[in-house]
Amino acid sequence: MTLRYILLSLFLMLLAPHAAADLVVVANPKSGIERLSQDEVINIYLGRYRRLASGITAEPVDLPGDAEQKLRFYRRLVGKTLAEINAYWARLVFSGRTRPPQIAENAEAALDFVAARPGALAYVERTQVDKRVRIVFELGE
Amino acid sequence: MHRKPWMTTLLLAALCCGNAWATQPDDAATLTVRGFGTLGVARSSSDQAEFARDFSQPKGIKGGQWSGRIDSVLGVQANWQATPQLELVGQVVSRYRYDESRVPEVMWAFAKWEPDARLALRAGRIGADFMMLADSRLVGYSSLTVRPSTDFFGPLFFSHFDGADASLTVPLGNGLARGKVFGGTISEKTPLAVEIWDTSGASTRGLVFDYLTGPWQLRASTAYVEYSNDIQFARQLAITLRASGAAAAAADALKVAGTTTRYDSLGVAYDAGPLQVQAMLNSIRHEAGLLHNSHAGYLLAGYRLGALMPYAGVSWWKSRLKSPALPNTASADLNREYDQVMGVSVADQTTYTLGARWSLCRNTAIKLQWDAIRGSASSRLPLPHSQPGWNGRTDVISAVVDFIF
Repeated sequence: MTLRYILLSLFLMLLAPHAAADLVVVANPKSGIERLSQDEVINIYLGRYRRLASGITAEPVDLPGDAEQKLRFYRRLVGKTLAEINAYWARLVFSGRTRPPQIAENAEAALDFVAARPGALAYVERTQVDKRVRIVFELGE
Repeated sequence: MHRKPWMTTLLLAALCCGNAWATQPDDAATLTVRGFGTLGVARSSSDQAEFARDFSQPKGIKGGQWSGRIDSVLGVQANWQATPQLELVGQVVSRYRYDESRVPEVMWAFAKWEPDARLALRAGRIGADFMMLADSRLVGYSSLTVRPSTDFFGPLFFSHFDGADASLTVPLGNGLARGKVFGGTISEKTPLAVEIWDTSGASTRGLVFDYLTGPWQLRASTAYVEYSNDIQFARQLAITLRASGAAAAAADALKVAGTTTRYDSLGVAYDAGPLQVQAMLNSIRHEAGLLHNSHAGYLLAGYRLGALMPYAGVSWWKSRLKSPALPNTASADLNREYDQVMGVSVADQTTYTLGARWSLCRNTAIKLQWDAIRGSASSRLPLPHSQPGWNGRTDVISAVVDFIF
């Protein structure tokens, strides 16, 4: 029993960092979409095209500042650092072309926003996903 | 002059810690105020011509003297999101301008209406969409280099117009197609040789087509400008020529009012992970005999290594000289003056650029850049005030701090 307990604990310890590193993009179940491609997520988050296949306007939500999740999200999505993403948005914002994603205080606030708005999208750890939202894209590790 | 390094430290700390880009997710009308700026110095080795950033600057830098004149800029922008579909945008910028002052100018002041995610309509004072990645050429933080290529963007003498544009974005194949039409009037002044050329009342119209797929962006655009004012020194010379019985064709070549200029450009950009590459080609055709047709291009590539992004580029601008009409007056001085005026828009130069951008922190970047300009002695643009003995060659070293807040 003790050996099984130790093995289980070791397994969970190995699994925990893996799960924490697994980012997913979530949408409202009423968004009318089941899945998004990587290009679609890029287009939405970089402000190129914010219309979901269902016809609803996408409302992406970002995390503030240099949040570690945010850093990993953009690195995995487009291979960019946050400084590069900031420079990208400076180009568009100071041209008056489009708006950056809205900022949620933290992952919980982002989930609340997605749960309340049909077009909202957010990126969170897989372990943070609850029944109020639907996973539409997996960034993996 | 007292140096105050603590002020610089405080400024950088404030910029690095700032988080003015945050907007809370709700539907209430929001007002957001943001800004950008550049503190920069540059020196140009030649003392026989001045290096200027673009046509808006009456004087450049020369003689190996360090100067903060050409690149330093400060801008503030307010966005009022009245409803999810309607936004009002105003931007004021202080920069070195045609009258040698830094009096703030209204660069943008427009209303944008987006009835859905595909269509955007803007009306008011709008940025001219000449660059592939941005409307503004003044936000140094947003670009890889210290300044947009002087060879390619220097001749674009206006940065905004009063009018409207409409853009439509639709999925096409594996990417997105975006078309834009624009039109309006220009209200800017530009220094040209010995005078300030008032281009107020000129009209512009054009089309821009972009295709975005994965890391690629392709662009084709065309724009027309129709001038309403002559260049005064050319107009005076035309009057003198007519009075002296010169060939009518020679005097007519000096007329600019009522003529058009057409800008055509093609561009491609590749931006994936640490690699950025951009290339553009353009053709500028003027109806006015005084203004020579030209073509220009640039190729720029950068590769990120940690917080550092070294880059290298080459750009060129070359006139295609029109066959001059001969004034054939009895006065040798008048004939010589005519030749000088007809040579005022000749450009023939290539610029090789090496530099590095260092992302100091999220809102601040430092850049060092070397531009080696290698042109012909006959090249008069874009380096103003060339002197006898100008050989078309100069080296420009630039150091800037770009920031947003």
